Amino acid sequence: MSRDEGEDEADRVALDSGAVWPADADDVEEAVVANWFVREGGRVEADAVVCEIQVEKVSIDVPSPVTGTLAEVLVAENESFARGDPLAYVTPA
Amino acid sequence: MYEWMVTARHYEERLQEEYLEGKQPAFDISAGPIPGELHLAAGHEAAAAGVCAHLRDDDVVTATHRPHHVAIAKGVDLKRMTAEIFGRRTGLCKGKGGHMHLFDPDVNFACSGIIAEGCPPAVGAAMAAKKRNTDGVAVSFVGEGAIDQGGFLESLNLAAVHDLPVVFVIEDNDWAISMPKERVTDVSDGSQRAAGFDMPGVRIDYDDAVAVFEAAEEAVMRARAGNGPSLVEVQVHRRMGHFMGDAEAYRPEDDVERHQRLDSVERLADDLRSSDVSDEELAAIRERAHERVEEAIAWAKDQPEPDPAEVTEDVFVDGGQRPRAADAPAGGDD
Amino acid sequence: MAQAATERELTMSRAMVEAVASEMRDGDEVFVMGEDVADYGGIFDSTQGLLAEFGRDRVMDVPISETAFIGAAVGAAQQGMRPIAELMFVDFFGVCMDQIYNQMAKNTYMSGGAVNVPMVLTTAVGGTYNDAAQHSQTLYGTFAHLPGMKVVVPSTAYDAKGLMHSAIRDDDPVVYMFHKRLMGLGWMPAPEGPKTPVPEEAYTIPFGEADVKREGSDATVVTLGLHVHRALEAAETLAEEGVEAEVVDLRTLVPMDTETVVESVRKTGRLVVVDEDYRSFGLTGEVVTRVAERALDDLEAVRRLAVPDVPIPYARPLEEAVNPDTGAIAEAVRETVE
Repeated sequence: MSRDEGEDEADRVALDSGAVWPADADDVEEAVVANWFVREGGRVEADAVVCEIQVEKVSIDVPSPVTGTLAEVLVAENESFARGDPLAYVTPA
Repeated sequence: MYEWMVTARHYEERLQEEYLEGKQPAFDISAGPIPGELHLAAGHEAAAAGVCAHLRDDDVVTATHRPHHVAIAKGVDLKRMTAEIFGRRTGLCKGKGGHMHLFDPDVNFACSGIIAEGCPPAVGAAMAAKKRNTDGVAVSFVGEGAIDQGGFLESLNLAAVHDLPVVFVIEDNDWAISMPKERVTDVSDGSQRAAGFDMPGVRIDYDDAVAVFEAAEEAVMRARAGNGPSLVEVQVHRRMGHFMGDAEAYRPEDDVERHQRLDSVERLADDLRSSDVSDEELAAIRERAHERVEEAIAWAKDQPEPDPAEVTEDVFVDGGQRPRAADAPAGGDD
Repeated sequence: MAQAATERELTMSRAMVEAVASEMRDGDEVFVMGEDVADYGGIFDSTQGLLAEFGRDRVMDVPISETAFIGAAVGAAQQGMRPIAELMFVDFFGVCMDQIYNQMAKNTYMSGGAVNVPMVLTTAVGGTYNDAAQHSQTLYGTFAHLPGMKVVVPSTAYDAKGLMHSAIRDDDPVVYMFHKRLMGLGWMPAPEGPKTPVPEEAYTIPFGEADVKREGSDATVVTLGLHVHRALEAAETLAEEGVEAEVVDLRTLVPMDTETVVESVRKTGRLVVVDEDYRSFGLTGEVVTRVAERALDDLEAVRRLAVPDVPIPYARPLEEAVNPDTGAIAEAVRETVE
């Protein structure tokens, strides 16, 4: 994963996995991306669901923080990530 | 009883560990050494132990999709049952059945994954016992979610009208997957359904193995003596999800906590201590149970998987038909 | 596939739910009932989120009493409601088949058209995750064989939504069979394929229109449900070998689009039918027969792949042996072109 590339571009907003972490999963540090609903380059609306993650056995919808374009997906479907990892970058438009 | 119960509890806890292997962090139901659904009975042990304590090998038991604790109390071969759950060739059913479909004719145990569908076969087993004039009985275990099903109610009626030696046991754990009892029936005491069929019904409000033992004794003796069927409902607890992988988002936190706190295994240990069983004796039983479980799991994992060439076998009985007396040659043609 | 351009992709379960929710907003007569459909959102996410929007009166958890609630759906439908009743697994049909087959499917005919039964029976089908003999069947052929029910089997999110709109609006009983492996569940990962772009607006897909999911000139593969994706994967492999397979997704079994299948066979001359149901007296035989009746002269070779006539076994190697996989489909196609 090329996370550094993304951070160079100050205008990109991260899709923060920590923000949607369920309160009752405080002891869990790892999760999986179950589904992406937009492909890279696709348009996303603020608050619309962009992907679904699975923390333990609970599915959680992750909304986009801004309206814009899904610039880069950092965690592919069925791949795991650590709590707090950015899942993708969105370029506001 | 205590030994069965600690065996069953440890067994389910160990199966949970084995089942989750290969299923973390992503829970994929088809991954790991035990794929498919797994319904564990932690918290249900008292119902199985208290009832099966009165049964012989020739008595018939039908259990549910949550069968392991009943199987253990009925004396099902633990190694071969475990091998079946791991999908091995030497399992009870050659790897064809799986954990909801365990059959052990040596101790007359069977179970089914369809709700309430164990009731009619138990009634049939009781018919066979009655026709053969044995004093054998049949016991059908169901969950409280199953008692709204036609199969359960029809079986009660059939058993009652023919005075058959059956005991129906309801394991009431408050939940039918996500549906709490109060949202599926207006009668929270399932044993009241017995009255509609003019048979005795009793409810044990807490999963006290001794209380279950006493209620089941009366029901089983009644059946053995030819006095017909009974219904026994036992309040049990669901310490785990409906199936492994059930996130239980629908279930209030305090309900889970209560089900965890009310522990029939611990309760029975306290009862035993107060009747002068020493801590050392209890510890020895626990150790023996744990060893037996570990041995069964280790043995099962070491067994071969089935050969795909066997997949078409067992659809029918191999070897044709039993000759009938009426088919004997009448002579005269030769 | 003719569909509006959209950047949003949905899983099959979400597409189904979107159609149900849309129809529920449009008409008070549409309601949902089943086991674990409310708080749980359907064991396979088939009703996820509906309770929050529509409440318990229209998203009803019911006791484990299929005879009662499926029969109740029939009665409500005959009074002009449009119930969606869910049979959690198709394998459970045995406990309620009388209501399904002797009432839901027959009342329109028996009444000489005086009554009709505009309901949808949704049900989860299929194996691949070792759930054994009582929880893994598809039973496509069983339901399609019995007259009086329309039978729908979507394979993609786009199809699932359009077919669900059609099913709810249909004035006859529709059995809507969704394959668990295609739903996009986090705990049962779907293959590549069922997740597709799905337009936001409502749209219908007419029953009796098969969909050519891949064009090819060398052989026709007719299938449905999960095996559409296995066939497409096999077709990719075959393309590398220079064999172009056409993949026809039936989408609905009743009514069945015989014409599209026959046209394809007239073009390719070779027919492979793939099914996740039992082999004998079933879907594969039906498709082959319909082609033989109409295009026998065009038919150079036929193969069928289905579950051999055994209950679905539990152990992984046994289930894999009975459920036709991508390799077996590719091999069957190769046999027809040799």
